[in-house]
Amino acid sequence: MNRDHRQELLDAIQQADRAGANAIIQDWAAGHSYQQVVSDLLSPTLETFGRLWAHRELGFSLATGYVAAKVAEDVLARLLEEAGARGEAQATLKGPVVLGNVEDDFHPLGRKMVGAFLRADGWEVHDLGVDVSPAQFLDAAEAQGARVIGASAMMYTTAKNAAKLREELERRGQAGRIQLALGGAVFKLRPELVATFGGDGTAPSAVEAPALFERLWQCATAQRGEGAP
Amino acid sequence: MNSLERVLAALQGQPADRPAFLLNAGLYGARLTGAPLAEHYRDPRRFAEGQMAIRETFSPDLLISPFMLAGVGAAFGSRMSEPRRNPPNVAAFAAPSAEAALALPLPDVDSHPQLLYLRESVRILARTYAGTVPIIGLLASPLDLPPVIIGLEAWLDALLFQPDAARALLDRLTPFFVALGRALLADGATALAITANLASPFMVPEAIAREFGRPGLERALADLPGPVILHHGGCPLLPHLTGFLALPNTAGYVLAPGEDPAQAREILGAGPLLLGNLDGPGLGDLTPEAVGERCDHVLAQRGADHQFILATSDADIPLDTPPECLQAITEAVCRAGRVPI
Repeated sequence: MNRDHRQELLDAIQQADRAGANAIIQDWAAGHSYQQVVSDLLSPTLETFGRLWAHRELGFSLATGYVAAKVAEDVLARLLEEAGARGEAQATLKGPVVLGNVEDDFHPLGRKMVGAFLRADGWEVHDLGVDVSPAQFLDAAEAQGARVIGASAMMYTTAKNAAKLREELERRGQAGRIQLALGGAVFKLRPELVATFGGDGTAPSAVEAPALFERLWQCATAQRGEGAP
Repeated sequence: MNSLERVLAALQGQPADRPAFLLNAGLYGARLTGAPLAEHYRDPRRFAEGQMAIRETFSPDLLISPFMLAGVGAAFGSRMSEPRRNPPNVAAFAAPSAEAALALPLPDVDSHPQLLYLRESVRILARTYAGTVPIIGLLASPLDLPPVIIGLEAWLDALLFQPDAARALLDRLTPFFVALGRALLADGATALAITANLASPFMVPEAIAREFGRPGLERALADLPGPVILHHGGCPLLPHLTGFLALPNTAGYVLAPGEDPAQAREILGAGPLLLGNLDGPGLGDLTPEAVGERCDHVLAQRGADHQFILATSDADIPLDTPPECLQAITEAVCRAGRVPI
């Protein structure tokens, strides 16, 4: 009987069963190539997961999102290991992006989860950690050639500091050329704050960050009058 | 009626001259006194002066201890951030994992400076307002202590992947929580408001909430010799409220901003206090008139519910909130009770 690996993987993540999820991925990869895991199994499953999580379906918690991020990290680690065994560096397929928690925000979990999903999707992630000043965000983005900054805040009071990041983007003439993604608990609960504090976009869950960054990267590229990287 | 009588009436489901109300204004006290935040969150006298100024200015019926969970983390060895515009946070954790945290000594509630700051704040307020204003001690349940000692990520790791280590850490932290809770009650706190985020299916899978979180919470609360108010802690409470019913010593529930008190009352039935549902951090985005309208609306809706206490929920009211917005809450409860301000 044919196994529905996507459904099984979704169920395992929902049950916070990281080992079970990895076993399902291994089983799928035995009949395919491990290189295809991301595009053919993990990404579509995470897309479904993200949709259900964003709609706060019962059975989907912060912890299950965390497990999904861990599974993505496990797949990435395996890919890096395989590439290393072949004597190749695992190529990042997509451009450099910068992540951090806004000034005064010390809640790293959501940001780390976003980083895991972005890396699994092929982005080159430069993670600046917590309590990052607007100047630090911009310095890093300019140094790395990043076209998207992802800034995270958990609470309303710290989310206000995202507006300072927007001001710094404007001051340096980088508005539009570097797009600002805002995320974190407060933006999930009150998405209207993204526009209020100068964000260019948000995603309803960490799982959906890669799609958001893709879109924002294209906006930045268009703004620069360039083609795709 | 004084504030204590008003709140006791609410506890007993009796009518009062006006609805009682609470402001999560621990931080905001520093705006009124002008104290630098570093001092406000280090010197219990300064914090208490802030609450006295809040009482003097806005007349809330309950006052609070510092809402500074990072300070409890610091008592275990975590490093706190310098408070700039917000209460201090944890900048570096005391241990990297649940297993490593088991080796940390438990701080002594009678001598550790961070814990004495909390306790002395309560003592000063309790002495000042004995018999007139209830004082609420704010604490994290033992389930929510690890995030300020090892971080949320390491705690999730333990809960999900190392259940023995998670259980061992919870067993170790529960007596500490009980000792601190008992001490705050002995210092004069009328009740404790606690968070239990890591017992919520919003945060952890249902099975962990049911088999680990809820029993752990029950065990901790059963050993407290005073009433407890369960605070939503930033997680939606309403969808998960049934899982928190009939907890030992639990006298009330604080809803998240915007959650429907009518629905919550339907689930709870008569008996427990219901507090909420104003968005404290967002008050400054509204005009005082809009704040007043929101209060009028919820107070009218809860008119017959004598066990409803209007309260700002979520995090602290930010420093830049215009005082007129807080005054609008005071005016609304007075309107609802038809008594002079």
